[in-house]
Amino acid sequence: MPWPLYLALKQLFPTGRRFPFFTFISVTGVALGVALLIVVMSVMGGFGYEIHRMITDTQGEVQVKVSDGGVVENPADLIPVIAAVPGVVGVTPYAVGLSGLMYGEKASFPQILGIDLKRVESVVQLNRFIRPGSLDDLDDDTVILSVQLASSLGARLGDKVVLYSPLFFKDAMKKNDEVMLPRELRVVGVFEVGHQQLDSNTAIVTLRRMQDLYGLGHAVHGFNVRLAPGADVDAAVARFNAALPLGTGLKAYSWMDSFNDFLWVLQMEKNMFFFLLLFIVIVAAFSVTSSLLISVVRKTREIGLLGALGGRPRDVAICFCAQGLFIGTVGTVLGLALGLGVLAVRNDLIHTLTHLTQREDVFQKFYQLSQLPAHTAGADVAKIVVFTIVISTLAGVIPAWRASKLKPVEALRSE
Amino acid sequence: MSENLSSSPAAATNVQPSKLKAEYCVTPGASAGLEVVLSATALRKNYLSGSQRLEVLRGVDLAVAAGESVSIRGESGSGKSTLLNLLSGLDTPDAGSLLWSGRSPHPKDRARFLGMVFQSFYLIPEIDALANVLMAARILGVLGAAQRARAKELLALTGLVGRAAHLPAQLSGGERQRVAVARALMNSPRLILADEPTGNLDEHTGDSVVELLLSLCRETQTALVLVTHNAAHAQKTSRQLFLHDGKLSYG
Repeated sequence: MPWPLYLALKQLFPTGRRFPFFTFISVTGVALGVALLIVVMSVMGGFGYEIHRMITDTQGEVQVKVSDGGVVENPADLIPVIAAVPGVVGVTPYAVGLSGLMYGEKASFPQILGIDLKRVESVVQLNRFIRPGSLDDLDDDTVILSVQLASSLGARLGDKVVLYSPLFFKDAMKKNDEVMLPRELRVVGVFEVGHQQLDSNTAIVTLRRMQDLYGLGHAVHGFNVRLAPGADVDAAVARFNAALPLGTGLKAYSWMDSFNDFLWVLQMEKNMFFFLLLFIVIVAAFSVTSSLLISVVRKTREIGLLGALGGRPRDVAICFCAQGLFIGTVGTVLGLALGLGVLAVRNDLIHTLTHLTQREDVFQKFYQLSQLPAHTAGADVAKIVVFTIVISTLAGVIPAWRASKLKPVEALRSE
Repeated sequence: MSENLSSSPAAATNVQPSKLKAEYCVTPGASAGLEVVLSATALRKNYLSGSQRLEVLRGVDLAVAAGESVSIRGESGSGKSTLLNLLSGLDTPDAGSLLWSGRSPHPKDRARFLGMVFQSFYLIPEIDALANVLMAARILGVLGAAQRARAKELLALTGLVGRAAHLPAQLSGGERQRVAVARALMNSPRLILADEPTGNLDEHTGDSVVELLLSLCRETQTALVLVTHNAAHAQKTSRQLFLHDGKLSYG
């Protein structure tokens, strides 16, 4: 090992002696910064990952629909075309729109989702989210409500709700003699997917009921598509767009396209957090610089000796820069361990904290989550490791420059 | 590394430029046909003290042959340390010339050509005695089994068997200076410059350190320049010089 690196290691971790206080403080500062970065990035990543999971769990990875919001007149012809695209494991048509829903005196305007009972399970395991009730009980005269909709209406399993078609309002406004009468549907399930948008105000009916409500005939609004696990979504979207018939206005959208704004905000927040929290590492790096500068002053005569033994100023500089590098490396490793450790027990920590403050229900209501999600992405870890080690190494530059500028004669004479 | 700076006597005798018949030697004893390891001619060094110019060295001539030991005494402030700094190449003279084995000093050659012993030992506190001795070899860029064996041998020669794994803080002053002597000899240098090496030691320990330094230099044909205040130590060297009024003279 070149002597500057050897000496840098020995000055930080001396032979047969305790961890020096200066090393401990410097390494701890860096480790805390890294741990915080890992925890926050992982939790932010966890939210993103949970949202990805919820979106793909409830609508598949790809949606095929008419780009101007129109309807698909011949879904039966298109299903084989979509299913034939490589990587597709399931395809189901859907129709969706707003409508009026009444239970007793209470009214709501939920989003009504019409699903194809024969095909839906090939894309979405809807039954997983239905508690209480079952998808098996869904037919043209029944409905499944989202948890918050059921709660706001006060509707329970077996209760009957009245669903108004938009055509009813249209007919009523035009004062037509014949109006589409509202349908009475029995509640056979309540679902909760953990996604605020869906859980707040959604009702699920059969595709046929939805087509009837909207006067769609056999038309649908689009198709949800499930891809094989690990499939490249963007590549699949490109394949769909190549396979879909021209002139129909049909286009494939990935789940990321559908939630582009939301995901962009999430990514922005994550980037912002990274930028802000990086300052903790930068502050820690200043502490490393300060400690190393003190070390240069304290070791002035040793630096003079190294010159007298034939050490070049460049090597003396490397010795101090390397100390920054080693502090950064050890701090990063310890910080990663600490951060991952905290993440491993995050739910216990939160449970203890919310239990102590008696705010468990507030946490669940506010975040829509009973557990804190976390997803540690390799790219985030790599980014944190590289930034921290580079910043810590740069922290050694000023002390290194000062040390290399010392003249051995003057350094040896210093008191 | 140049051949003429090699520690091998065979290699050294093959190099004619270093065999100087130094006419400017303070004593003719240095020119008895042996290789002149160190030759300084008309070295001058001035310092500015405020607006006043102090002439510390006013034309120093010195030649030291291989295996020769030279002591330099002088009053405090006479410029002994300044002279040693010039001879070591750590400082540059305002005038005059300096040659190491017939060549101009180059920082690259210092680790192999020169060993230095200081009054304050200057051991690295974080590493043990053996590692301190090996530091000279590390800086030279040659560290292997042979160097480790040599470092252990030098510690044995300096009476530090069993102290190799001790940190400087665990050693007495005399022991620390012995480690410093071993370190100075580690790379088999041609010249050792010792700046008051017994200044921080008691009389008995100081005597033993000087004896050790002289005997090791004699055995290895290493030239020694010893700056000391101690007349008894100076008497043990082959030539005794005084630095007075910025010039060297016989004792």
